[in-house]
Amino acid sequence: MAYQPKPPEGWLKTNLKYYKHSGSWAWILHRITGLGLTAYIFVHIYALTSLTQGPQAFDNEMKLFTTPVFKVLEWLLFSLVLYHAFNGVRIVLVDWASGARNHKKILTVVYGLGVVLFIGMGVLMFREPLANMFASIR
Amino acid sequence: MYKHTGSRGSGAPSWVLQRITGLLLVVVVIGHYFVMHANPASGHTYAAVLERMHQPFWKMFDLTFITVGLWHGLNGTWGIFRDYKMKPAVSLTIYGIIILSGIAFWVLGVNTILSF
Repeated sequence: MAYQPKPPEGWLKTNLKYYKHSGSWAWILHRITGLGLTAYIFVHIYALTSLTQGPQAFDNEMKLFTTPVFKVLEWLLFSLVLYHAFNGVRIVLVDWASGARNHKKILTVVYGLGVVLFIGMGVLMFREPLANMFASIR
Repeated sequence: MYKHTGSRGSGAPSWVLQRITGLLLVVVVIGHYFVMHANPASGHTYAAVLERMHQPFWKMFDLTFITVGLWHGLNGTWGIFRDYKMKPAVSLTIYGIIILSGIAFWVLGVNTILSF
């Protein structure tokens, strides 16, 4: 029988201890967002097959996708895109450049740039309701 | 080593390709979001989408996008599974699901793009 080393404490405790490092969190978030985006590309491809069924079918579907709930979900999905994209660049820098020396600084840039672009996309996507809101305040 | 994980290759080619396709997707997906999702008029009406779909550039763009995006996503998913010690039967089943679903949805997407 193969030797099975016993962890000094429970499985959960060992893993929680491991994940306290920012790099480990970056790694696990990269996997979760990656799986999420892969699941989404399947939904996306399937949803767009309605294009082959003519304008009525597509526009009806888009009526659902442009309701406030779906617009907010669409915006939240962009956070997965931004994180996975910028952390992906960080991974490439660590692998192919000397990113390992300052991967924590790069991680700060990843989160910072992500938040800025996420808010920017929010302003773009919700410019009409936002404009109406500010008009009513004024 | 590989004997026990049911793999013959080192995985190096797919590792390099994962990074190359990833760098491509950083630009393409963020660009796609600004063109298609930031503006309801350009992304969510049949007329606007069809107008783009009839241009060879956007056709090529979408075909590349769908191929690279699916490959990157599914190769990444397989990479996650590969991190765990799997029995050969489990490994083969998961690999089969990944390959078959990838081909099926690639055909579905390409069919949508090429029907215009």
